[in-house]
Amino acid sequence: MSEIKRDVEFGAGTAQETLAPEPGATQEKAITGRTPWQLARARLRRDKITMVVLAVVALAIVLAILAPILSIIGVLDPETFHPELIDGNTGGLPLDGGGGLSLQHPLGVEPGTGRDVLSRIALGMTFSMTVALSATLITVVLGTVMGLVAGLLGGKTDFFISRIIDMVLSFPVTLMLLALSGMFIDIITKAGVPAGNPSNGAYIVLVLGLFGWPTIARIIRGQVLSLREREFIEAARSLGASNRRIYFKELLPNLWAPLLVYGTLVMPAYISAEAALSFLGVGIKPPTPTLGNLLTYSVNYAAADVTFFLFPAIAIAILVLSFNLMGDGLRDALDPKADR
Amino acid sequence: MTISRRTTALAVLAVTSVLSVAACGGGGGTTGGSGNGSTGSAAAGSKGGTVFWLTKRPAEHLDPQRTYIGRDLSIENRLFYRDLVSFPVGKQGEEATKPVADLATDTGQSSEGGKVWKFTLRDGVKWQDGKDITCEDLKYGFSRGFATDVITGGPNYQLGYLDVPNKDGLPTYNGPYKKAAQADFDKAVTCEGKTITYHFNKPWADFPLAIASLRSFSPYRADQDKGDKSNYAVFSSGPYMLQGTWQKGKGGTFVRNTNYDPKTDQTGRKALPDKVVITEGLTNEIINQRLIADSGEDKFAVTDRAIPGSMYSQVDSNPTVKDRSTLVNSPFTDYLLPNFNSDVMKNPKVRQALAMATDKTAYITALGGDKAATPSKSIVNPELPGYQPNPAFTAPDSGDTAAAKKLLEEAGVPLPVKIKYTYSGGTPTSDNSAAALKQGWDKAGFSTTLDPLTDTYYDVIQNPNTKSDVYWGGWGADWPSAATVTAPLFDSVLNGVGTNPKSNGQDYGNYASDTVNKLFNQARNAATTDEANSLYQQADVQLGKDTAYIPLSVTKFYYLHGSGVTGYAQSAASNGYPDLGSIGAKQ
Amino acid sequence: MFAYVVRRIFVGAIMLVVMSLVTYLLFFAAPSDPARFTCGKNCSPELIEQNRKALGYDKPVFVQYGQFLKGVFVGREFPDDPELKKSAPETIAECPAPCLGYSPLQSDTVSSLIATAAPVSISLALAAFILWMVLGISGGVIAALYKGRLIDRALVGSALIVYSFPTFFIGLSLYIFVAIKWQLTPIPVYTSISDGGIGPWLYGLFLPSLTLALIYIAGYIRLTRAFVLESMGEDYIRTARAKGLTQRRILGKHTMRAALTPIATVAGLDLGGLLAGAIITETVFNYNGLGKLAVQAATTYDLPTTVGIVIVAATFIITANIVVDVLYAVIDPRVKYS
Repeated sequence: MSEIKRDVEFGAGTAQETLAPEPGATQEKAITGRTPWQLARARLRRDKITMVVLAVVALAIVLAILAPILSIIGVLDPETFHPELIDGNTGGLPLDGGGGLSLQHPLGVEPGTGRDVLSRIALGMTFSMTVALSATLITVVLGTVMGLVAGLLGGKTDFFISRIIDMVLSFPVTLMLLALSGMFIDIITKAGVPAGNPSNGAYIVLVLGLFGWPTIARIIRGQVLSLREREFIEAARSLGASNRRIYFKELLPNLWAPLLVYGTLVMPAYISAEAALSFLGVGIKPPTPTLGNLLTYSVNYAAADVTFFLFPAIAIAILVLSFNLMGDGLRDALDPKADR
Repeated sequence: MTISRRTTALAVLAVTSVLSVAACGGGGGTTGGSGNGSTGSAAAGSKGGTVFWLTKRPAEHLDPQRTYIGRDLSIENRLFYRDLVSFPVGKQGEEATKPVADLATDTGQSSEGGKVWKFTLRDGVKWQDGKDITCEDLKYGFSRGFATDVITGGPNYQLGYLDVPNKDGLPTYNGPYKKAAQADFDKAVTCEGKTITYHFNKPWADFPLAIASLRSFSPYRADQDKGDKSNYAVFSSGPYMLQGTWQKGKGGTFVRNTNYDPKTDQTGRKALPDKVVITEGLTNEIINQRLIADSGEDKFAVTDRAIPGSMYSQVDSNPTVKDRSTLVNSPFTDYLLPNFNSDVMKNPKVRQALAMATDKTAYITALGGDKAATPSKSIVNPELPGYQPNPAFTAPDSGDTAAAKKLLEEAGVPLPVKIKYTYSGGTPTSDNSAAALKQGWDKAGFSTTLDPLTDTYYDVIQNPNTKSDVYWGGWGADWPSAATVTAPLFDSVLNGVGTNPKSNGQDYGNYASDTVNKLFNQARNAATTDEANSLYQQADVQLGKDTAYIPLSVTKFYYLHGSGVTGYAQSAASNGYPDLGSIGAKQ
Repeated sequence: MFAYVVRRIFVGAIMLVVMSLVTYLLFFAAPSDPARFTCGKNCSPELIEQNRKALGYDKPVFVQYGQFLKGVFVGREFPDDPELKKSAPETIAECPAPCLGYSPLQSDTVSSLIATAAPVSISLALAAFILWMVLGISGGVIAALYKGRLIDRALVGSALIVYSFPTFFIGLSLYIFVAIKWQLTPIPVYTSISDGGIGPWLYGLFLPSLTLALIYIAGYIRLTRAFVLESMGEDYIRTARAKGLTQRRILGKHTMRAALTPIATVAGLDLGGLLAGAIITETVFNYNGLGKLAVQAATTYDLPTTVGIVIVAATFIITANIVVDVLYAVIDPRVKYS
């Protein structure tokens, strides 16, 4: 368990400590005639920081969605080499002696290749966020299913799943990600995913998801266990509602809040994880940009090209910070008891 | 025997005139090195102090018979494993790769047309525990290479040359551990007093060169041999010995061997520092940032890791740093291999188009520019005897898109031509240089998929069934002769192309040509080196006609060393790496 | 209590066995060929076959796992080659219990590789632990006391910002700028206490442990702040305040005691995970601890070493869990285990 794990766990840890809106509380509030979601929205609107990071996240998402389209129509150009903008004799540094910033290349050009940095960061965000989001979805879905099953079926199933959870949590995740990469990318390729980056990306998504779900499964299991005993479930049961109805109509709606908050906190952890794995040599490789492989390359320019050194790092930091703050904000909004 | 700077491959060795370098980097316009003469501005070193060697890739072996990395072969020879003959310290040009007597009294006497070699040990040469180095130790060391189940990883020329009975292409003698057919070995390698005699099954005119280049023929003391457990053990016959233990990935410290008598050593090893500390596991960036900063112990540091492109400007802009830089041609070349088992590459016009579209300039820029590599015109390193530019490759360095397009049209294949490029990747530099090639090809009508491989690289390209169209390759000669370049790479008989369904040996492109094979055979039996070289040149011309390979670049070594280092030199004698035989620490 | 501890240890041991089996299967039953990765790059097919036999990879994977378990409890010998054992016994590597295997790529037993690397990781983990606990908790308390004010926001904010940068970026920046360019600290090199004494050991640890600590500090500031605020709202604190106790006394005597228990829990788990090596920090600073050994093993397909480290790391994590739970029960009288 080292830094990536910690990154992952940091999200999970905070979620665990203070998440879990009291279902009872939401019920009480409903009496006033406003739904919990309306309440949350009202609370969010008063939270300036969260509103700002929400805007940043929204912008990042829009940019990430648009980047591939803009690349295709030629507004962004992440892959064309510009040998005329770099100096082959200085190791390919931008010709202007700085980062090569200009109107055409607002964030400069990449040393060694002359590719446009802004385009690469934008498209890098697309790939990094796709990887992180896919892994988050797997984490949340798998965690929810396992948590629900354990919590609802109880008994041996619960014991069995809980032990699996304990075990997966005991694996040194970073090491597993690194050590399994060779073989499992091979398996993924043999299973029909195109070789190269599609397989590399799929590997990261799968393995982050497969090692990430236990924490959320624990949370959901705990929620289910406590909800099961609540009055409104008992009421539903005594009214003759079917089990199926109880699961989907009564239980699931009460799990949305923790899932949303947890998902928001897992996302930045996975963005960091992608970067860390790139540094260790696992993951999507250039020329396909990701924030991770951009940063892995740019740290080499710490002394020679400050802007190129900083931009990818700042891009990652803004994303990670925004998602983390958004998660906090959502938690506060969805859980009125949480103290800020 | 292949190697590249990007892969943890095998080895490489000396090449005749790796440009030699003096301690002073060049000033002004053209960077660095290629200064000749001896050790330039560095004052004659004095004894004492500590020299630090900073590096990245861990030594895979310190066992002499298992070592196969150019850097490690050189360090071992200079510090702790003396050989019958060695390359001299402090010589430049052709002199640097002319073996001189080391443990032996002379550079060997051959008879029967090079099939029998005799060496006599000097008096007074000792192991680190004070015992004499004997003929039996030499014989034992040589025998270890036959134990291919224990002594793995090293060169295996001894298997092919020693005159012992063979079965299934391998000697029945299996080394000093299991001792099968020991009597055969005892007949082929004999000791009379201090004289050792080797009997080969074919002429081996290059044998002294092989001894000086490799450590396969180093003596080894039987009572120190613990098989695989001795992989990182050092029992010294040279001026230094290992202090404590060696830790793979970390390194070790070498201190003076008091039983080494400099009077017995005519190779010129200066043995200046009291200590040599080798640190492994650092990155190129950290090593060179530290050498630029030049503070504390780093003043006495040398490295075999080239200055990354990202730091050229820091070096260039600072004269005191630039003075400490050296730039020499390395023994390595980069090239591309069309896969002759791929349907599209079976078409000669497509191969020619690929060669025509290849943008070496962009490739080199991505590697770091003219300090990282220069464009090449042949797979043979220009520093090797018998080098000539291959006349088949007429494209300009940055490629000729129009001509390539035309060739593709003539080829009569549907455009764009989809190709997969498999290379040793995983580092930003290698990935960027691959992307640079892709750009050039795609402009000319190819549609390239990049396939970067890391650890599985050799497995994949050695597999004749791999579905890829173009491979990246890197190579350095095992000893200074063209015989260790094109023949091992393209002789389809030797490599089992078409006969071995599982492996193409080192003929990664699965190229097979009777014409070329015949020329190689003639060259092997040639009476003179000149005749052999001319035959290798003819073979190379044919390879070019068939576009069996596409030359990319000659790798350069652009190195920094600390300001307190004296006697700094890189020469072919040390495979282009810093030569610990002459380096000292300023007192 | 005693029964609880025994049960936890028992369950932990079973979990370890299951985990080692899972790990073993993951690595040795995968469609890739473990024997292929035993001899570097110029492996001939013959050599691969030889190694397969010598290391027992030719046997079914469950038999191999049985041998592995046997090695853990009674030790093994490598290579398992009767002919070699007879003709050259000096070449056989003894691997006494607990034997985690033999790495043909490092020519050493996995246990001895781990034993060499562990002190580095433990030193680093402890140094980082002390740094982040001191800075994190004091930062958290200050932030809580000045809740909502500039100092609170600055502390929490800056910690969060630092936390948002990837570890290797922070580590490399510190190494390149602080140590190399500005020369504010010595080049971080690990020197064991037995080699250089306490001073060099500490100097060498400074930047790597700071890097590691910086990632954790943000979490601990927030955690401490939250717990302090929470406990300040509790009735007994209000009572104490009503009694007229000074702020300092309340904080020291009541608030911190309540807040420290959950922090200690989290800290224990974090430390347990770190003892098995900080992969990225050790890689950046070239610290030859378990983390770097793991990277080296993983990138060279050194399967025995990889499996060994995974199992050791899991042991640390599981042990930390047990220790923390037991301590929790001891510290907090409200927690009862049956």
